[in-house]
Amino acid sequence: MIHSPQLSNDVILDVNNVWKIYCRNLKKAMWYGIRDFGREMIGAGRDRSQSDLRRGEFFAVRDASFQLKQGECLAMIGPNGAGKSSMLKMVNGLIRPDAGQITLKGKTGALIELGSGFNPILTGRENVYINASVLGMKKAEVDRYFDKIVEFAELGHVIDDPIKTYSTGMRMRLGFSVAANLRPQLLIMDEVLAVGDVGFRMKCFAHLNEIVKSGVSIVIVTHAVGMLQRIASRSVVFGQGKIVFDGELETGITVYEEMMTVSNENQKKKEECTHKPVASINTIEVQNDLGEKQTEFETGDSVKLRVQLNCKKTLKNARLVVALSSPVHGTLFSTSTAYQDVQFDLESGGDSVTLTFERIPLMIGAYYFNVSLYGPEMTDFYDRRSGQGNFRVTGPPTNSAGMGINGLVKMRHDWSVGE
Amino acid sequence: MASNVGNSISTDPEAGQADELRDNPAPDKVGAENAANNNTTEPDDTYAEMITVYNSSSDIRSPIKLFKSIFVGFYQGRELSWRLFMRNLKGLYRQTLLGLFWAFLPPIANTAMWIFLKSTGVFKMEGTVVDATVYILTGMILWQAFIDAFQMPLAALSKNKNMLGKLRFPREALLAVGFGEVIFNLAIRLLLLIPAFLWFNVAVDWTILLAPIGVLGLVLFGTALGLLIMPVGSLYQDVGRFISMALPFWMIITPIIYVPWTDYPGNLLNWLNPAAPLLIWSRDLLLVGSSSPHLMVGLIFLGATFPLLLLGLVFYHVSLPVLIERMQA
Repeated sequence: MIHSPQLSNDVILDVNNVWKIYCRNLKKAMWYGIRDFGREMIGAGRDRSQSDLRRGEFFAVRDASFQLKQGECLAMIGPNGAGKSSMLKMVNGLIRPDAGQITLKGKTGALIELGSGFNPILTGRENVYINASVLGMKKAEVDRYFDKIVEFAELGHVIDDPIKTYSTGMRMRLGFSVAANLRPQLLIMDEVLAVGDVGFRMKCFAHLNEIVKSGVSIVIVTHAVGMLQRIASRSVVFGQGKIVFDGELETGITVYEEMMTVSNENQKKKEECTHKPVASINTIEVQNDLGEKQTEFETGDSVKLRVQLNCKKTLKNARLVVALSSPVHGTLFSTSTAYQDVQFDLESGGDSVTLTFERIPLMIGAYYFNVSLYGPEMTDFYDRRSGQGNFRVTGPPTNSAGMGINGLVKMRHDWSVGE
Repeated sequence: MASNVGNSISTDPEAGQADELRDNPAPDKVGAENAANNNTTEPDDTYAEMITVYNSSSDIRSPIKLFKSIFVGFYQGRELSWRLFMRNLKGLYRQTLLGLFWAFLPPIANTAMWIFLKSTGVFKMEGTVVDATVYILTGMILWQAFIDAFQMPLAALSKNKNMLGKLRFPREALLAVGFGEVIFNLAIRLLLLIPAFLWFNVAVDWTILLAPIGVLGLVLFGTALGLLIMPVGSLYQDVGRFISMALPFWMIITPIIYVPWTDYPGNLLNWLNPAAPLLIWSRDLLLVGSSSPHLMVGLIFLGATFPLLLLGLVFYHVSLPVLIERMQA
C-alpha cells in the first residue's frame, strides 16, 4: 500500500510497509538482474510484497515500517543478515524497495564510508575538496569550513602531504571531519563510530550530540551497541528481515542480545540432539526470589535458576555445571555443585536443582545460562542445554557519556576527594 | 529550483510540497548563502521542505521526468565531475617522470609499429591521398578515441563500484568524468597531427572545419554503444572478456591501416562495423576533403547518434539501482 508522500511537520523519515528481495545464488541473481532491468525498461516495475519469490530469492526486509522525527537519533541493530544495511541503502536511495514506500523530508547526508573518493597520491588539502564534493558539498562551503575541517581532524601539520603518508586512523579522521560538516536534515551512519583514538572518538560523539540537538535526525547502524548509548535514544531491532522491536534503546539492546543467544543456541542444537542420555536436563526456568517465573530484572535483584532433571535409572553423585553468559561478552561466571560440595543422587524419575544468585550485580543487557549434567567423573557427561534461561536486566539506566554508571557489572564503590 | 528529481528514484507528482518547491530559488546559490549565515552544526534549511520518495514503480512510466532527472543529474554533478576529473588527471601523471608524454605515446607507438610492418612488406597500402604515416596516425587516434568512449561506461561503473554502492550522488557525474577523460586524451593526441601535417605537407581542405563535428560524433556514438551494453556487461563479465578478445580483430576490419572499400560487398563493412562510418567520415573530413565518397554514410550515422545516446542514458539511469543491488560494496 502506498501512502501519500505528505509528512506531518516533525517527521523527517517515513518507512512504510517496505519489502526488499535478494537472491543469494550468483548466476540466478545475474539473470534476474537482466529480467528486472528489462521490466524496468518497459515500465513493468511492480509491488512484489505479495508475489511469489523466484527460485533462490528471499526477503531481506519484510514489511518494515517506522518513522523518525526531527532531532531524533535512531539506532538500527540486529544480527548479521537481519536487513539493517539493506534498509539503510533503501533510505539512502541506493537501491529501491520491492514494495512499500520510503518518504524523506529535506536533504540526506550519509556517513557510510569515510574518505570516499580519496586519491592516495594527492594531498590532504586536495582530498578534502574531492571528498566534500562526493558528499554533495559545494566548493564555496568547503572554502568556508576548510580550517574547521582540518582543525577538527587535528591534521594541520600534514594537510599538504600526500595522504598515502597518513596512517589509517589519520585518513579516517580526515574523512569524518569532512563529513561532520555536512548539514543535512537526516544523517545516515553505518559502522563508522570506531574512528581514530579514544580522544577523537569522544570528540565525534560530542559533535554528533550537538548536531542532534540542533535538529538533525540520525539513523545509525552498528554492532558496537555499547557505543550507542552515547548518542541514540531509540532503537529498531531487525531479525530475519522483520522489525522485531521499536522502542527505547536499552530494551532494544537486550532484545538484540537475546537474539544473539538464540542464534548461538541454534548452532549448538545439532550437537545436543545427538545425545540420547540415561539422565537428561528437562526444563530450565529463571525465577525471582519468590520462586515465580520471571525474565526481567533490575540490577541488585535476586535470580533463581531452577533446573528439572530426568533420569531413567539411578545416577549416583550427579554433578551440575552452570555458566552464566552474555551474547556479547561470552561466559561471565561458571560454577558447579561440586564447588560447594553439594552432592546428590538422581533417582529414577528425576529431581530438581535450584541455583540462587543473590543481588545480581549485572547491569543492563541480556543474559542466559549454559547448563551441563555430569556424573562423578570428569568424563561422565550426560546432557547439556545451551542458551537457556534467558533473562534481561532492564535497569537502572546507564550512562556512557561519563555522567553515571556504565559497564557490565555494578561494583560497590565509594568516591572520596582529598584524603 | 529546489528539485527533488536528482535526489530521488521516484517522486510522487502529486506531492504538494514538490509543486511548492518549483518556485524556490536555485539550491546551489541559496545553499552557499545559508552556509555563510549558519552555524556548521545546524542543518541547511535550503532543502528542508524537499520531499523525496522511493518506491517500486518504474521511472520510465514518466519519460519527461526521467529525462529531466538525467539532465539534472549532469547539472547537479558538474562540480563533482570537475573534481573527479582533476583528481584522476593529477593522480595519473603525478607519480611519473614523463608526465603528459604518456598520453601521446600509444598512438605514436601503434603508428610506428604499422609503418614498420608496411616497410617490411607484410602489407601494402595504396590509394591514400596523403602519406601513409599521416593516414595511419589519424586512423589510430580516432580508433583509440572510439574504443575509449565505447569502454568508458563499463569502466566508470567498475572503477566506482564502491562509491556507487555506498553513497548517493548524481551518478551522471561519473559519465561526465569518463567522457571528459576521453575528450582530453583525444585532444592531446590530435595535437600530434599538427607536426605530422606540416612534416608531410598535407593539403588542408575547408572540410577540416567540420572535422570536430565528425570526431565528436564518433566519440558520442562510441559512448552510446558503451552505455547500451553497460547493463548486461556489468552483470556478465563475458561481455568485457569478449570485447578484450575481439578488439584486435575489430581494429583490423576497421579501415585504419588500409583505405576503405568502395565496392560491393566490401563496402558493406562500412555500414555493418559500428566503428567504421564515423571514423572514415571524420578522417576524410581531415585528410580527403569534399571529394570523399563516404560523406553520406557518416551523416546517417551522425543522425543516429543522438537518439542512441539518449537511449543509452536511459539504460544507464534505469539500470543503476538494479546493478547496485547486485554489487559487492
